[in-house]
Amino acid sequence: MSLRTFILGLSASFGIAWLAVIVVPYFKMRDMAPIQLSEETDGTTGIFYPKRTGRVADGALVYAENGCYLCHTQVVRPTYAGNDLYRPDWGGLKDDGDRGDTRRETNAFDFTYEKFAQIGVSRLGPDLSNIGRRVESIYASKGDPATWLYAHLYNPRYRPELRASMCPSYRFMFEEKQIKGRRSLDALPFGGSETTELVPTSDAKALISYLLSLKKDQAVPAVLNFGPAKKDG
Amino acid sequence: MSSDSIPHPTQDALLRASIDRSLRHPVMFFMTSGAAWLAVSIILGIISSAKVHSPGFLDQCAWLTYGRTFPAHINALVYGWGFQAAFAVIIWLMARLSRQECRSAGIILTAGHIWNLAVSLGVIGILSGNGTGMPWMEFPSFTWPVLLASYFAIVVWSFIQFRVRPEGHVYISQWYILAAIVWFPWIFLTANLLLNCFPGHPVMGAGINAWYKSSLIFLFFTPVGLGAAYYLAPKVSGRPIHSYSLAKLGFWSLAIIAPWAGMQKLIGAPVPYFLPYVGAAATVLIFIPAACAGANILRTAFFSKEAVAESPSLRFSIAGVISLVVMGAAALLLNLPGSTLKLTQFSISGYGFELLALYAFFSFVMFGAIYFIVPRVTRREWLSRRLITMHFFFSIYGIMAVAMVALFGGLQQGMAQESWQLPWINAAISTRPYAWAATIAWCFILFSNVFFFIHLTLMWLRLGRRSSHPTLLVSSHGSSPHGSEGDIDNTGSGHAAAH
Repeated sequence: MSLRTFILGLSASFGIAWLAVIVVPYFKMRDMAPIQLSEETDGTTGIFYPKRTGRVADGALVYAENGCYLCHTQVVRPTYAGNDLYRPDWGGLKDDGDRGDTRRETNAFDFTYEKFAQIGVSRLGPDLSNIGRRVESIYASKGDPATWLYAHLYNPRYRPELRASMCPSYRFMFEEKQIKGRRSLDALPFGGSETTELVPTSDAKALISYLLSLKKDQAVPAVLNFGPAKKDG
Repeated sequence: MSSDSIPHPTQDALLRASIDRSLRHPVMFFMTSGAAWLAVSIILGIISSAKVHSPGFLDQCAWLTYGRTFPAHINALVYGWGFQAAFAVIIWLMARLSRQECRSAGIILTAGHIWNLAVSLGVIGILSGNGTGMPWMEFPSFTWPVLLASYFAIVVWSFIQFRVRPEGHVYISQWYILAAIVWFPWIFLTANLLLNCFPGHPVMGAGINAWYKSSLIFLFFTPVGLGAAYYLAPKVSGRPIHSYSLAKLGFWSLAIIAPWAGMQKLIGAPVPYFLPYVGAAATVLIFIPAACAGANILRTAFFSKEAVAESPSLRFSIAGVISLVVMGAAALLLNLPGSTLKLTQFSISGYGFELLALYAFFSFVMFGAIYFIVPRVTRREWLSRRLITMHFFFSIYGIMAVAMVALFGGLQQGMAQESWQLPWINAAISTRPYAWAATIAWCFILFSNVFFFIHLTLMWLRLGRRSSHPTLLVSSHGSSPHGSEGDIDNTGSGHAAAH
């Protein structure tokens, strides 16, 4: 076998796979067609365009830089690939008041405005696809969700029910400041002294805003809805 | 090949000596700086691993938070140690097997320094909070063109040496090394262009990243490791390779199967359905090339049980090749869609598998190669049998703990994750014993490598023994198990027609 044939063999064996699993899917996914809503099944027309509010882009950057993806995933797998959907608060909420059962699997539109989908590599902590929804409706249903998350970020073991958490403390995202006049609205309920308080830095604010934007349970068009058919309309 | 092309033994020995001399500085540079990065990586590995079960450990400082130390650890292991060990082996093996002196040691050394600078900036970038958040590609994005350019400046000479080699036989190690040289830039460029420069769909980005990790293991580290093992086993045992057809089967099955692997990590995520299944199928089939190469190399080495017992090079590389077979079996058992894949997908077995590949297989073979190459390029023998033995056994203990984590911890964690009736905290707690096991394993590995670092430094300072007897692990003064030089190079008993 000559060098040329050998290199050709290497290139062919690699190149075919490269085209099939990288290049073609890359372009297909990049140029994904928007989903047309239909009056019949979705009750409205136009195109499906999920809304998302908050500091998504710079929050995602803080999420990436501090390695949150090492322990937290952002994907709710369909039932053929895992039991994520059965958990009462992962894919949405089992009972979200008027909205009913909002649980659904992750779809390709859930990562709008992000450069890289933090699917994650391991679940040492829970999935965060709906952490924003979870905090608002369950953990901090009576208080301010941002304050709940700030406290959790500062000390993940602060609350008795989370004593076993292995999440690192992100104390370095907070700074101690002199209280001038009134206490800041986003100051932590603990820490500080008579004259000082712990306030989140800009990084912490971006991260919390991002986490609160993670509510991947909005209704999806019929073509993306793989949930079981509802018994009553 | 006719017999008159076999050079005279004395000329042959002179040529080998001049090749070794021409490569002394680049090879020793990559080995020592690689070992230094291994030390950095192990220390970061212990810190990050301890944080998984004791989150309060060193948590005051932003630089040492888990989310930064862990990527710094794995990137230092891959780019600092793995690549540099690979460079040392690639340039030395290719020069020896192509029978060419290295004429570009200066450029290689300069490029090596630039590579190290880029890795240092990358690790500092991660620790200071400027990582990109893409596994194994966390270095700030300015580093990748620098790494790629210095990569070319380091290995292009090996490619040229192969082109101008004397006519005749091409040895198996050369196939593997050429393949690694060709595949790596393709993989690296694809992943970096598509993720850093022209980001497409975010979920596809995650898929490309998963493919990149898998490709780096199977299409760079595996071929380099196998190239070295295919060289060392017959060379040290003094026997020709067991079967050339098996070697061919192993090589081409790797080339055909491995590029499809990787995206099984995205099963259930919104990517085209076929991608995770193709990835799972390919990863499962990796067992074939692993078993072919494993059987071939082990049968060759165990022709001479004495050599396996006595030679440090052979003992390390055999342990590495056995780990390769274990890795192939793990790939087979942990990636079955519908049964084990959903359990291991988001469990610690992912990290365990990476360590099985990077440390238990690749690094062990690299240690074997280092124990073989260093005495030749420095013209000194290793100082102490005891240091080598300590290095070997503590590394083995450490890596056995890691393999246990990979095979059992991930499955148990996955089962706890799937038990959706129980609160999540149960799944989180189920990881803890395995996290402890990983920390202990890293401590063993650190301990074992202290002996290696001391030994390598002494050799680098040219304080090795001036002796013509190699340092063996058994204290008999019998005949040298290294065989006569030239057995495997282009001449001698190992040159049965390859093609």
